Amino acid sequence: MSENIKLRKKGNYEANKKFYGYLFTAPFIIGFLLFSLYPLLYTFYLSFTDMTMMSKSYTIIGFDNFRNLFSDPFFLKALRNTWRIWLLNFIPQLGIAMLLAVWFTNNRLKIKFVGFWRTIFYLPNLLMPVTIAVLFFNLFSFYGPVNQIAVRAGIASSAIDFFRSTGWARSIVIFIQWWMWFGSTLIVLMAGMTSISSTYYEAAMVDGATAFQMFRKITLPLLKPVLVYILVTSLVGGMQMFDIPYMLTDGRGSPNGSIMTMNVLMYMKFSSNKGHIGAAAAVGMMIFIITSIAALLIMKMLKEKEPDLEKNIKKKIVKTVGKEI
Amino acid sequence: MSYTTKTRLLRIFVYIILAILLVMCVFPVWILLVNATRSTSEIQQGISLIPGNNLVANWRNLTGRGFSITRGFLNSSIISVSVTVLTVYFSMMFAYAVHVYDFSYKKFLYGLVLLLVLVPTQVSIIGFYRYMNALKLTNTFVPLIAPAIAAPGSIFFAKQYLESVILKDLIDAARIDGCSEIGIFHRIMLPIAKPGAFTMGIFAFVASWNNFFTPFMIISKMPKYTLPMLVQTLRGDTYRTEYGSIYLGLAVSIVPIIIVYAIFSKYIVNGIAMGSVKE
Repeated sequence: MSENIKLRKKGNYEANKKFYGYLFTAPFIIGFLLFSLYPLLYTFYLSFTDMTMMSKSYTIIGFDNFRNLFSDPFFLKALRNTWRIWLLNFIPQLGIAMLLAVWFTNNRLKIKFVGFWRTIFYLPNLLMPVTIAVLFFNLFSFYGPVNQIAVRAGIASSAIDFFRSTGWARSIVIFIQWWMWFGSTLIVLMAGMTSISSTYYEAAMVDGATAFQMFRKITLPLLKPVLVYILVTSLVGGMQMFDIPYMLTDGRGSPNGSIMTMNVLMYMKFSSNKGHIGAAAAVGMMIFIITSIAALLIMKMLKEKEPDLEKNIKKKIVKTVGKEI
Repeated sequence: MSYTTKTRLLRIFVYIILAILLVMCVFPVWILLVNATRSTSEIQQGISLIPGNNLVANWRNLTGRGFSITRGFLNSSIISVSVTVLTVYFSMMFAYAVHVYDFSYKKFLYGLVLLLVLVPTQVSIIGFYRYMNALKLTNTFVPLIAPAIAAPGSIFFAKQYLESVILKDLIDAARIDGCSEIGIFHRIMLPIAKPGAFTMGIFAFVASWNNFFTPFMIISKMPKYTLPMLVQTLRGDTYRTEYGSIYLGLAVSIVPIIIVYAIFSKYIVNGIAMGSVKE
């Protein structure tokens, strides 16, 4: 009898726990359905219509928007630009951050004030991107400080019109992106490196390994989950790049569409005279598809030959994500 | 060359690189702050590292041409503070549920959150805009605040943090004392998790404060402009050659963040590390 009551109570308690589990996660689920999932599905739907801002009615036109995009030189250019700007800022960003992280964690070098350096290098990441864009526009303007210094120091014979040259404009966007993100990458890399057990290095040292060998054979493989995290988050951000290229010149990727990214193009279609909702939605969906495929490929490629690591949350992400998709 | 000499040379080289990067990070920001206090003609004559004395005139010129800075500040503050409160509260709640309770779909839900951290969010802005427009919510702050209820990145962070601080014994003790589950969350868990909530809050605040794209799509009425949207007007014709005022407008938008960073940099730097790697 008393056993029965105990059991019932326990059952009650379990049911109770379930109830609170649902109750406490309900706000997120509701918020996710209302503000993430529904807009995404709705955008997907809109990308198959010819809806504009002006017209009241619209028709479903199937894949026409997407077909138009692939015959649109602007879209192909935006696609190329986005990848080029992301890759050219990400590679040096990871390179410098890796170099700094190795130096900062090196026991022989004993670099002082590591906390101070990290704090300073992270600062650009916190500043408003719009402000940074307007600031660099002024710094690199024809009569701006950069030209003043360059001409006075004799580096350039006459002032350079940075924002009329496709190469310069693109380089400035790449530089700003690099400038904003290398500190963040550095901090994440260092966190990954300091979580590697020192016993590996001690054992390698006993075996007479050089610093470079230890980096290649211990640090890099054990850092793989962190590298995947950095690569994928940077890719997701980079494919959606908007603030800097939009604000730096006229908002249409001038000069000559050299800094027009996919997101800038989406906004251009949305804000054009007619307001092509359907076409803009199609650009949005293309960004979504391209980013998802690239992220998946990266995770697949880097997941192979994974060594046995200590339990690491990054690995968990990779696995969960891999399964869900 | 001996081992120690080599190390010493490398160390000098490293410090030179660090110094160059330091200048690259600080110089543009310093020029911005200094130029905010100089007159347009001074700025055109050349750069200076010493502040001028034209701050008041720049301020008058800036606010006299429709740059309603107090309004923008107020709007941005309302949005960012609301977003911060919602994000911290509901992310903690979700992470707590996943950490403490057992219920079906728990694994699936948390897997979904981890997946959402990696999903590009701006791509659905067109649908979001049409949807808010249909609900007559454009030009209100609702579309900018309400989505903060579901913040996957913050949940991920909260889960990591709770794993390190929450004691199941303490929760059981509270249950025996007759504390309700909702009471336990509010009176025991939230106070314990304060430092983590604080770090999360800073990130949520900064992200909302700096966000340009969403308000740019949703808001079109000048009195509702947020700070980044006001900064965007500095590129227009109104201030074409008023460099002092432009720099001052830019300075106003970043000084609050710089102050927050100067005070709480330790929380912020450690927060990035915690949000990405688990020891």
